[in-house]
Amino acid sequence: MSTSDTIRDFIAGEILHGSQKIPLKDQDPLIESGIIDSLGVMILLTFIEERFSIQIPSEDLMPENFSSISTITDLIERRLDD
Amino acid sequence: MDFAFTQEQLVMRKTIIDFARQELNPGLAERDRLGLFPRQLWEKCAEMRLLAMPFPEQYGGDGFDFVSTVAVYHALGYASKDSGLVHALMTQIISGLQILLFGSEELKAKNLPNIASGKLIYAQAITEPGSGSDALAMRTTARKVGDGYILNGTKTMISNGPVADRVLIFAVTDPVKKPFGGVSCFIVSQGDPGFSAGKPMEKMGLRTLTNGELVFSDCRVPSLALIGREGQGSMLFGETMEWERTLIPACLLGELERIIEECVKYAKERQAFGQSIGDFQAISHKLARMKMNAELGALALYSAAALKNRRKRAAMETSTAKLFISESLKQAALDAVQIRGGYGYMSEYDAERELRDSIASTIYSGTSEMQLNIIARLAGL
Repeated sequence: MSTSDTIRDFIAGEILHGSQKIPLKDQDPLIESGIIDSLGVMILLTFIEERFSIQIPSEDLMPENFSSISTITDLIERRLDD
Repeated sequence: MDFAFTQEQLVMRKTIIDFARQELNPGLAERDRLGLFPRQLWEKCAEMRLLAMPFPEQYGGDGFDFVSTVAVYHALGYASKDSGLVHALMTQIISGLQILLFGSEELKAKNLPNIASGKLIYAQAITEPGSGSDALAMRTTARKVGDGYILNGTKTMISNGPVADRVLIFAVTDPVKKPFGGVSCFIVSQGDPGFSAGKPMEKMGLRTLTNGELVFSDCRVPSLALIGREGQGSMLFGETMEWERTLIPACLLGELERIIEECVKYAKERQAFGQSIGDFQAISHKLARMKMNAELGALALYSAAALKNRRKRAAMETSTAKLFISESLKQAALDAVQIRGGYGYMSEYDAERELRDSIASTIYSGTSEMQLNIIARLAGL
């Protein structure tokens, strides 16, 4: 499964609890739309760090890095490359 | 997991226990009655390097790992009956951790040595008259003007606020992105034009800790005063809470352990109906519950501390530790009064003050209700 699909599945299942009928697209806004809030980001961060065995440093804890599945995927892949 | 203290941690704990009993407890009843912040004792704690523990040596700290810091503050909470002073010290450490984790190199070099030495007192200002648990609903603004920001708003009930030399203040930098990407954190100095601190507010417990109102009226700060990046405030807040919700319960667990020891001693000595009151199940079961909670609290605390020590996310573990230990402490403090009967209710004895102090623990750093909300969300609800 691709990184973006892994994130999509997690958000759909663990944050939206299956309430979203149409699958999220990579560019769909997550924060502006209220899909994830500050605690939602902490839940997502916990999942990302465990699932991908990476650590997201303080400087990357920026809202824009969590604004869409696409930006989250970019963040993970940057950290995997380090 | 091995939760045994190392030899070094055991020595540090004993040193702090001896220090606290000898230096911090005498005169507490009077300080509590008058609501006085003990600046001299703050300085003694600083001399004992209590404020330097978690900070790197390059910034004037002693470079201890976080578990050791938690172990020492656990000992401090156990031995120091001055919970207000202990809370003031923790506020300083938490402020420093925010700067260490998110601040620029310049901010770290400028502030951390003063935090570690205790030379300056720090506070963090989030709560406002209209926003407590819903912290990010704050109304204080920071408007970008030229190479800086202009702060306007009022913070209230800020721990260390009335005596602080530096304040880490959260403010709205972008109302459209608020609350998630529109809140930022700045550092402001006492004496900056437009910044004023009110008098200490009267309160039920923790009376040696000062809490007060901070007012920002066209207070200009340079861009260099920004901690982290603009819009990072909510994430900074979330991250810092995990550290805070580990350090605070460490002290609370120590208090709980002290209350248990004192209650057991009293229950053995106090006679009623021809026997020690501890021989009655009505008393012994109260003490057994206290002891059980302390044992479970220690597991929750050091589990959370071990995760934070490895820089892991620990929202569930830290909220659980904070909720469980603070509620256990409050119940134990109430039971301690009941066990003592009329003596427990008299201000002459510690139990009365300990109950007043304990009540705040289920309110600050996120109320028990907020911890339950967090745990429910993390459990998948």
